[in-house]
Amino acid sequence: MTRSILGRTLLLLASGVLVACTSATGAGGSPPLAPSGGAVITAQGIAFDRQQLEVPAGRPFQLLFENREGAPHNVTIYDEAGPPLFVGEIFGGPGSRTYDVPAIPAGAYRFRCDVHPEMAGTVTAR
Amino acid sequence: MSTLPLAERAQQFSPTAIVLRSLVVGLTLVTATIHAQLGGLLFLANAIGYTTLALAMVAPGPIGQVRWLVRIGLIGFAAATIGGWLLFGARFPLAYVDKAVEVVLIAVVAVELWRSDGGPLGVVRQARGLVARLAGRLTGTQAARAPR
Repeated sequence: MTRSILGRTLLLLASGVLVACTSATGAGGSPPLAPSGGAVITAQGIAFDRQQLEVPAGRPFQLLFENREGAPHNVTIYDEAGPPLFVGEIFGGPGSRTYDVPAIPAGAYRFRCDVHPEMAGTVTAR
Repeated sequence: MSTLPLAERAQQFSPTAIVLRSLVVGLTLVTATIHAQLGGLLFLANAIGYTTLALAMVAPGPIGQVRWLVRIGLIGFAAATIGGWLLFGARFPLAYVDKAVEVVLIAVVAVELWRSDGGPLGVVRQARGLVARLAGRLTGTQAARAPR
């Protein structure tokens, strides 16, 4: 009897895990507009919608990040050597954040999602 | 008919044992669900690993004889997950919640291991018994295959 109840509860919880596995992706849609003088990037299907970002060099700018799925993501900009230049807030979607990124010198940098490092690309500041 | 020794069968259905086992399975499935919601292959593999171990904690039959091994596997899996997060993981609220769940899970499994298997010494004894059984089976097979 006890084993039967335990088995049923387990089955219910295990199916919950499976549902969670399949509900991580969200709805699609057109890409949001970039803030004036800034950049925009979208996450969906455990991937960014672009691998290249162009941002202004030498002055602060805004980066609009739209997360279109339940999985948590963020955008971090970093130089290969040294600490990150900017770490965006990690949040689960669907939702968006406008990051205020401090000035970064002209050059090429990397960006990635800290939760899923395979989501990565290049930032060019010019 | 269960293949477990009578003493273990009696202990298996005591209220404390049921609470402990339910906690182990519940916490394991909570961390599995959290990992599944993070998306990505690595987290999905982790969620599948935890779910498999949760099932192995309650599966009837011969697996009951090596439940101590499942407990060791669960402690090792949770510890490796925490270690991986400390080394490479992102720091955000849900991650901290999950690590707290995993730390409690390790503690509860350790208590169950102590009660059911007699602690580290008991585990060593059971491991030696398992190795001896496997070796016996292997030599038995080889003897059967040997030309006469």
